[in-house]
Amino acid sequence: MSGTGLLRRVHVRPKERDQSARAPRLERPRPATRPSEPRLHQRRHVGLRARITITFALGAAILSGTIAAITYFSVRSSIVTQQTTSLYREAVASAEVLRPELQLPVAAWPHLLEGASAGAREAILFRKHNWYATSPFPAPPAPLSRALRATVLSGTPASETILVRSHPTYVVGVPIPAANSAYFALFSMSEVAGTLHVLLASLLLAAVVVTLAGALLGSWAASRALRPLHEAAEAALDIASGHLDTRLETDDYADLAVLTSAFNSMADRLQDRIEREVSFTSDVNHELRSPLTTLAASLSVLEGRAEELPERSQRALALLGAEVRRFRRLVDELLEISRIDAGLSDVSMAEVPLGDLVRRSVSAGFGSVPVEFVGESAERYVSVDKRRFERILANLLQNADNYAGGATRVRVETAGRLARVAVEDEGPGIPLEERQRIFDRFSRGASGRRRGLGEGTGLGLAIATEHARILGGRVYVEENEPRGARFVVEIPLLKEAAQ
Amino acid sequence: MASRILLVEDDERIRASMRLSLEDEGYEIAEAATGEDALESHARALVSEPFDLLVVDIMLPGMDGFACCRELRRSSAVPIIMVTARTDTHDIVAGLEAGADDYVTKPFEPKELAARIRALLRRARAGEEGPVALTFGDLEIQPEAGVVRRDGEEVHLTRTEFLLLCELAANTGKVLSREQLLERVWSYDYFGDGRLVDVHIRRLRTKIELDPSEPRHVITVRGLGYKLAP
Repeated sequence: MSGTGLLRRVHVRPKERDQSARAPRLERPRPATRPSEPRLHQRRHVGLRARITITFALGAAILSGTIAAITYFSVRSSIVTQQTTSLYREAVASAEVLRPELQLPVAAWPHLLEGASAGAREAILFRKHNWYATSPFPAPPAPLSRALRATVLSGTPASETILVRSHPTYVVGVPIPAANSAYFALFSMSEVAGTLHVLLASLLLAAVVVTLAGALLGSWAASRALRPLHEAAEAALDIASGHLDTRLETDDYADLAVLTSAFNSMADRLQDRIEREVSFTSDVNHELRSPLTTLAASLSVLEGRAEELPERSQRALALLGAEVRRFRRLVDELLEISRIDAGLSDVSMAEVPLGDLVRRSVSAGFGSVPVEFVGESAERYVSVDKRRFERILANLLQNADNYAGGATRVRVETAGRLARVAVEDEGPGIPLEERQRIFDRFSRGASGRRRGLGEGTGLGLAIATEHARILGGRVYVEENEPRGARFVVEIPLLKEAAQ
Repeated sequence: MASRILLVEDDERIRASMRLSLEDEGYEIAEAATGEDALESHARALVSEPFDLLVVDIMLPGMDGFACCRELRRSSAVPIIMVTARTDTHDIVAGLEAGADDYVTKPFEPKELAARIRALLRRARAGEEGPVALTFGDLEIQPEAGVVRRDGEEVHLTRTEFLLLCELAANTGKVLSREQLLERVWSYDYFGDGRLVDVHIRRLRTKIELDPSEPRHVITVRGLGYKLAP
């Protein structure tokens, strides 16, 4: 299987529409950096993956550990039983060999002892209150436990496992009552212990290897199982960032087919809906613009000949003109905002000095407002869409005109990486509780409502906010000193001048 | 004598109202409702009294404004203003690439259209000053005669392309920003549409450069603008 994953993101061709000239185009510059959601998603993904890996490793460890323990204990018990049984028999046999000699009154006990105990590492003999040993150190009966001695001397054969000079030693005690003696054979168990150690080490190593293999398998399985999820999340983000033609594709596994078909049908519906909305906007756009063009052209003819009209007609014409212009602005702004919403509005960024930009923007419509630059702010460069910036400033100045008796000053300053362009007025100001809401669409502040002014469309500040957002900045309002409001456009500064 | 303008617009009411307002501006107006009509009127007018300028709506039934522009450009350098109902990059760039010199977006103020027309007509009559001939490698420009030759062969430029070239030639080696070119060639202010410059530079290159993808004369200076190199 190819390593590219089970799911693939693909892009579908846009649906053919009958009015190709009016077909909506959804072009939105891909954001250079993704919004913060993916990082969150990434973290959750790693967590799940780690959990699956740990589960696999834990399972492998428990399984292999249990098997190792069972193997070790059963092998050990069988080896030890086998060994001790044969050693026991050997000791009994040696005692048998010694018995006739012991019944003699005098003999070279140690010598005899050595001869009879060829298989044992050491042998100890008790005869008539005397101890004899093949090895002088430690002196008998030192290595033997008191309990063993007592049992054996009371006439019962017994065995025990002890450490002699730190070697595991199997001791068999055989009473020889006929000679008033007891024979103890000490067998080294080092070899058995060594074998068991090797066995234990191998089993532990195997358990560790199996655990690691389990972890690897788990991590592989997790990444394999989560890859489609990841791919689906990427596709969803793709759609969210405006690539509505993104779809998922899979060529194996029925369970993924469920995911892909569900995802794709969701994407289909979403794309369809958005395209319909955009196409509706575009149709409304067209249908409204044509009559407005006629209205504007006819109005200009009438206005050009206003002096030929009677006085009453002139007054009516003035009203008509004001309303047509306001209607036009409203349509313009509605379309502007719906284009921004649909991600259709194009951005053309240019690097320009702030001074030039602000002076030109102000003089384009409100030339009488003084512009003041704090420090070197006029020489700093910004990367902006000039026309958008001009619209922001025009909307703020228009807003001041409509509700605050006109802007008194435009003040430009820089703060760190930001350029702040403030449109100041000395009107009634904006109460604290309205400072957020006035940027909402069609929401006019109390002063606007109270005055019942007909000039504003209720969209100017909302559009300024949207434009500022597109330029990577924001618009907010604060108190002006000594009175009035101060609307501030904040956009990022370029680090260095372009030239 | 009044300048003659052909108005190509399918909406009867828009056409009628535009006619009224442009006539008030002192122009002589002819109308066409379709692209086909426009081409026919234009061809007919050539023999008697050619139009000084065309205003072409993009959305026309049958042959659309783009096709109409392209067709006109095959034989004519007449100034064309395109009228579009959209401000999408795509339509505007496509219109400029089809050969339009400038554009207005519906709904436009009649004053705005009149200003564009004036600027374009002024341009069409301009070019009577400066040196007689300038030579840039294989390129020869005669500003006064309105003639450009490459390797001795005459190149047909629209008036806007020609003025753009003259503007660059008059400032040889100096970089002209988009804003400067917009102001000098189109009489736009600071907020003019930079795409006008970009598209016309592209069109100019296809005509005067040997390899338009590797321009030797009209050089882009990244972030600053354009310059003409000998």
